[in-house]
Amino acid sequence: MFIAGSNSPIKNTSYKVVLPFYGYAALSFLVATILMLMDTSAFTQHYFNPHTLAITHTMALGWGTMIILGASHQLFPVLIEGKLHSNLLAYLSFIFAAVGIPLLIYSFYEFDLGLVAQAGATLINLAVISYITNLWLSMSHTKKQNVHAVFAFTSVLWLFLTTGLGLLLIWNFTSHTLSNDSLHYLSLHTHLGIVGWFLLMIIGVGSRLIPMFLISKYDNKKRLWWIYILINTGLIIFLFLFLLSSQSKLYFIPITLISIGVILFGNHIYQSFVKRIRKKVDEQVRISMLSVAFIVIPIIILVAIIALLTTINSMQLTLLYGFTIFFGWITAIILGMTFKTLPFIVWNKVYHNIAGLGKTPNPKDLFLNSVFIVCGVSYLMGFVIFGYGIIKENILMLNIGAVLLLITAVSYNFNVFRVLFHKAKLK
Amino acid sequence: MKVKTSNASKGDIAISSLYNVIDPEIGLNIVDLGLVYQIDFNEEDKEIFVTMTLTTQFCPMGDAIVSSTKQAMQQSFPEDKIQVNLTFDPPWDTSMISEEGNKFLNY
Repeated sequence: MFIAGSNSPIKNTSYKVVLPFYGYAALSFLVATILMLMDTSAFTQHYFNPHTLAITHTMALGWGTMIILGASHQLFPVLIEGKLHSNLLAYLSFIFAAVGIPLLIYSFYEFDLGLVAQAGATLINLAVISYITNLWLSMSHTKKQNVHAVFAFTSVLWLFLTTGLGLLLIWNFTSHTLSNDSLHYLSLHTHLGIVGWFLLMIIGVGSRLIPMFLISKYDNKKRLWWIYILINTGLIIFLFLFLLSSQSKLYFIPITLISIGVILFGNHIYQSFVKRIRKKVDEQVRISMLSVAFIVIPIIILVAIIALLTTINSMQLTLLYGFTIFFGWITAIILGMTFKTLPFIVWNKVYHNIAGLGKTPNPKDLFLNSVFIVCGVSYLMGFVIFGYGIIKENILMLNIGAVLLLITAVSYNFNVFRVLFHKAKLK
Repeated sequence: MKVKTSNASKGDIAISSLYNVIDPEIGLNIVDLGLVYQIDFNEEDKEIFVTMTLTTQFCPMGDAIVSSTKQAMQQSFPEDKIQVNLTFDPPWDTSMISEEGNKFLNY
């Protein structure tokens, strides 16, 4: 017996809300790789320098955050099985962030952390507030909460804490409102963002999407709850240790908890892969799965940094740590998942009213797979060579790596804008 | 999963036409994917009701799949009015994929 339902699917978030985020993120990735190529020597100096700060924030905000904001406006309703509360709030979120991010990056690049930087950071916080309000109101209209949605919403709260602290740090440069200088709080700001925002969001959404694309029989909500508890507990302990203790060895406690969470997540994805029905795995899912393995790299480097803190100068390791996060797992999963989400959003926009009237291209035909392969290969080569260049402080390797990463960004942009400007083709 | 029909001969024609509706992401037709639950023929009012589901309630391809289903049925039954009812009770799961579908996905 089947329960009769409606005669049309529940409406997805409008493509008009989502697509600008994708375009903006793609251009930000291109800008970040150009900035890198313009000054690879920045990666042989202390990590707290204007150009490195500008590149890091272009990657963290313009690239990683903007694409996650865009995709999550589409995916969050799927996770909560409800509708996005407001398109207006989503537009506001985009506009505030789109204006605020370049202001902040320009200020870092010029290292002029006055009014322009304060305006940029304030606008970014307004974007996050609009986003949180929208998600909160969306959640309040639905009774169906699940672990994926809880991951996503918690990550947004950590994002707010990260950008809020970021704003304070910017103010602190000129008005000295905090008890220490801004450099002191950099580690806290960075890790709230990396673990709280990126890691939780990627696990929450990845644990739903990757098994779905694999058509996997594997499902283990209990394990996902454990991952959630481990990572959040680790992060809260880290927060207290940072504020209350100077014992660097104690940081192994949160690192251990978060690492166990990451390993469990890796195993969750592996089990989904083993128990998949769809045997053929496309390149986009492959690179997304590779990104899960990439999460381990910065954890190993972080352990090395703490273990070697008193014995060697860990500056290059710290730079490598940051690089393997922003150009490692965050970039890898975005490169893969962009082409498992964007073509479907655009396909639906172009073809949903005319599907069935003739032969339509498949969503995967909206981008060129050959260009995607160029993007993937140049990315992997660029990632390894640039990482090697950081460790060896070798400008030639850094330049080669930066050129390869620029090729990655150009090929990625080619495919993204090819999809965004796709026009209907019926045979 | 076998599709239930209220008229065996017309049901066969309907199912044949629905084999042409392909899920754009998976590349498999909606019958072998197990999305079509039931087809009812109202002979008096010349109406056909297709009861089907989607792999997820918020499937981004939902509109397109429903639209393609209507178009495919209309081509086989041009005189009839086609109604597609979506249901998520029972929800779709991988056990609903047919043997042929599993073979296709395992290829």
